[in-house]
Amino acid sequence: MPKKYHIHSKVTPLDLDYVYKFKIERGENCINCGKCTKVCIYEAHKRGKNDPRKMADPNTVVCRNCFRCIQECPRGALEKSLDKDFLNIGGTYWKPDMFITLWKQAEDGKVPVTGAGYRGPFTGPGFDSMWTDMSEIVRPTRDGIHGREYISTSVELGRKLNHLTFDEKGKLLSKIHDTVDIPIPIIFDIPEDNLSPNVKIALVRAAAELNTFIVLHAADVTSDAKKYIKNIIPIISCEEIDNHQGLIKNARIVAFEYSEKILSTLPELKEKIKKIGNALTIIRVPAKKSVETIVSKLAHNGAEIIHIVADYRCMEINGSGDENRRLGKDIIRAAHLKLVDERIRDEVTIIFSGGIAMAEHVPKAMLCGADLTAIDLPLLIALGARLYEKPGKIIVLPEELEKIPARTVKQRIINLMGAWHSQLLEVMGAMGIREARRLRGETGRAIFFEEIDNDTFGKIFKKREKVSL
Amino acid sequence: MKPPSAVKIRKTPSRFKHQIPKYKVTRSTECINCGTCAKSCPYGVHERLEGHNKVKVPIDYKCIGFECKNNDFYCVAKCPRGALSISLNPMYETLGDYRWTADMITGTWIMAETGYPPERKDLEYNIGNSGGGFDKLRFKFPASIPKIDKSEISTEIPLNKRNDGRANIIISTPVYGGGMSFGSVSLPTMLGKAHNATNWNTFTCTGEGGYPELLKPYDDHVITQVATGLFGVREQTIQRVKIVEFKYAQGAKPGLGGHLLGEKNTESVAKMREAVKGSSLFSPFPFHSVYSIEDHKKHIDWIKEINPHALVSVKVSTPNDVDMVAVGSYYAGAHIIHIDGGYGGTGAAPDIAKKNIAMPIEYAISKVHNFLKDEGAREAMTLIASGGIRTAHDLAKAICLGADGAVIGTAEMVSLECVRCGNCESGRGCARGIASTDSELADLFNEEWATQRLTNMYHAWNVQLVDILYKFGMKSVRELVGRTDLLEHIDYSN
Repeated sequence: MPKKYHIHSKVTPLDLDYVYKFKIERGENCINCGKCTKVCIYEAHKRGKNDPRKMADPNTVVCRNCFRCIQECPRGALEKSLDKDFLNIGGTYWKPDMFITLWKQAEDGKVPVTGAGYRGPFTGPGFDSMWTDMSEIVRPTRDGIHGREYISTSVELGRKLNHLTFDEKGKLLSKIHDTVDIPIPIIFDIPEDNLSPNVKIALVRAAAELNTFIVLHAADVTSDAKKYIKNIIPIISCEEIDNHQGLIKNARIVAFEYSEKILSTLPELKEKIKKIGNALTIIRVPAKKSVETIVSKLAHNGAEIIHIVADYRCMEINGSGDENRRLGKDIIRAAHLKLVDERIRDEVTIIFSGGIAMAEHVPKAMLCGADLTAIDLPLLIALGARLYEKPGKIIVLPEELEKIPARTVKQRIINLMGAWHSQLLEVMGAMGIREARRLRGETGRAIFFEEIDNDTFGKIFKKREKVSL
Repeated sequence: MKPPSAVKIRKTPSRFKHQIPKYKVTRSTECINCGTCAKSCPYGVHERLEGHNKVKVPIDYKCIGFECKNNDFYCVAKCPRGALSISLNPMYETLGDYRWTADMITGTWIMAETGYPPERKDLEYNIGNSGGGFDKLRFKFPASIPKIDKSEISTEIPLNKRNDGRANIIISTPVYGGGMSFGSVSLPTMLGKAHNATNWNTFTCTGEGGYPELLKPYDDHVITQVATGLFGVREQTIQRVKIVEFKYAQGAKPGLGGHLLGEKNTESVAKMREAVKGSSLFSPFPFHSVYSIEDHKKHIDWIKEINPHALVSVKVSTPNDVDMVAVGSYYAGAHIIHIDGGYGGTGAAPDIAKKNIAMPIEYAISKVHNFLKDEGAREAMTLIASGGIRTAHDLAKAICLGADGAVIGTAEMVSLECVRCGNCESGRGCARGIASTDSELADLFNEEWATQRLTNMYHAWNVQLVDILYKFGMKSVRELVGRTDLLEHIDYSN
């Protein structure tokens, strides 16, 4: 049995100005009787610190929406509403509730567990229109929840052979390509530009501690980051390969942005890299209209790892309106299925990024056909950042983030990944899948809304008029 | 339909001083305290106490809202100074969610209080806002109603269709209470559920936390559960009941086993479960002795051997192959196949599991019903659906899709004034005393109150179900099973 992969979470609160969901206000008709202090089990209501004859302002931070104070106040003096800041945060993709759960996960590193059933919409766009299967009887281990240590979440990056060839004497003729293993199917994508040095180095150190990777522009690989080069994927432009020989020599993987020129010169580029060191290459392709065609061409030209980059809301880039833009689920499926049809899928690795916002998106992206995912914004949200979709993408970093020790910042990232890793285990455990590698393209173990709705209601009600998700 | 004689409807108001208001009634400074409003409002929104000069602050939750404007006692129009106004209360937005809307929760509360569906027209309490499944299905009632006496309509269903010599159990209404363990819910909750099941000649289920002795008077209406943790499973409790249920999985957390977090594992809970107080109890998954249908049959045979009269129910969640599992259960000798959909309730489950794992019940009912039919096993099995049956309309729709009846959980909790805040799992448990074994919180209401609220709610559902059958001209709920032709889906056209 190989060594178990374990993420060491540690409760790490940050004293930040978070957004909370509920707002409780005390009306003027309060008679300071203190009933609310007795009925609230979360201690949202307390008497004033300086003047105990008066009630203090309600502490909205701890409110869990149980309504007891509202219903038991003898004067009906308490009012509750949804907090305006809460309603304004995020947008249609990054829903306000996501921030609260991501902050919590970054704080305690635990799987979010709550009581009562699911409260959201029946289905939704993109990843929200699929469910993962489970297995009633066939299991990965005989130990249920305790057997999750035996589930492997590691994935392999690199080019693989379609088949092996041997000579007449049975001697292996094929040259096996180098690959890189990472213990979780998640790497960190390029962080925002305007981050302070403590945050930048903390991200790098978190990637190193998790034994995964962070993608950085070559120029951002500062001297203090260099000692973590084994966990950094520098992005290099083709013209500057000679200037970055040191990085390429030490890195395990390097990345290049896609261009038409790269497509035609890919074999030469790989050759050039191999002369410097053993680094594998990633080609980053923006998820534009016909991204699957480019992915296919790259695969046929010998690409090792292809990284499909969607926009921050998991949509195609540069589409006309939101309606006509494909979402992550369909982008990945299109690219994956094209490579399957062309019988080359097993030879390349596909990374998907853009809008990976919650733990569930990782196994879902993989079921659709990605080998692994890359994340960016959740790393900042873990640090208390807020994101607004309107009028355009705006990220608001918490004040004085630059003063927080890198150690603390790093631990928040580790916690978030610990929580995501545990959730991945929950989903895989339920499916009875022992290896994350086997999730890739395993659509037989997913349930897609369009298909099942049509299989069920289509048979009964014939023609689907519209799809209103 | 005449309810069982034990069913008595009694008005059973909220335990709390105030309810959660849909509207906000505002009195401006223009008010001259003339008291016209207090005299005219029949609902008691406005009050002026004897000998007081001032009218009291309006009691919002009693207001019936904008629909009142057609009444001649409408306070806003009556006020000589135009000092009154009605608006939607922002507080109402903090209640409920897509699946259980604020209107649905309020409607269920009214049913539990009065025993009848709400008379108010401003509450959409039959359909949620989830945008799929039941929420998009509608009934196609025929234009002309064949004359049937409502008292002749039967809502009874048999639970043993195998004709195997075991008890022929018939329940009076096609609904029973879901498994909730001692530990996850309080004793008054558990006893109230069992007492109500007895009143209604139906069942409740112990869940997997053992069989408290206080349930003994209700033995004939209790299903005892054998779940993967085998907590509290004893030969004598299996022998005292009429139905034993194997819980393979739960819709809210398919494939994960039960969760009882440490803080809720109090002394009495630990004793019942033969566990250490304060430790989190995660039930394993699956049954360590079941890895095939043959193993499953061995399990069922074991129960049948211990209790030669009992029926066996098999509770599973809804993966892709749920239809195969159902047929397997038929061959293994089960009487009831109970399928629990992915959006079902729970006392504690990972959010990722609640949302994402396994399919919603609407699809699974159809899948299992049709597969059992194709295999020639449908007539011998009772198909029970749960996991997202929130209202009497959901129940009737589930039956149209192919179920014989349903199990409900959250609707029972809401009747006991659950607000679905979702904090049942942590700390001392439910702040409202429903899902808690904390010595103080579990004492917030008693069995009598809980029983009556549940009996009222079951009655309101039964009234609605009978009304639906009446509109279809049916004399028995059994005629409704599988009648998908009576439904329409608002996204489809025939």
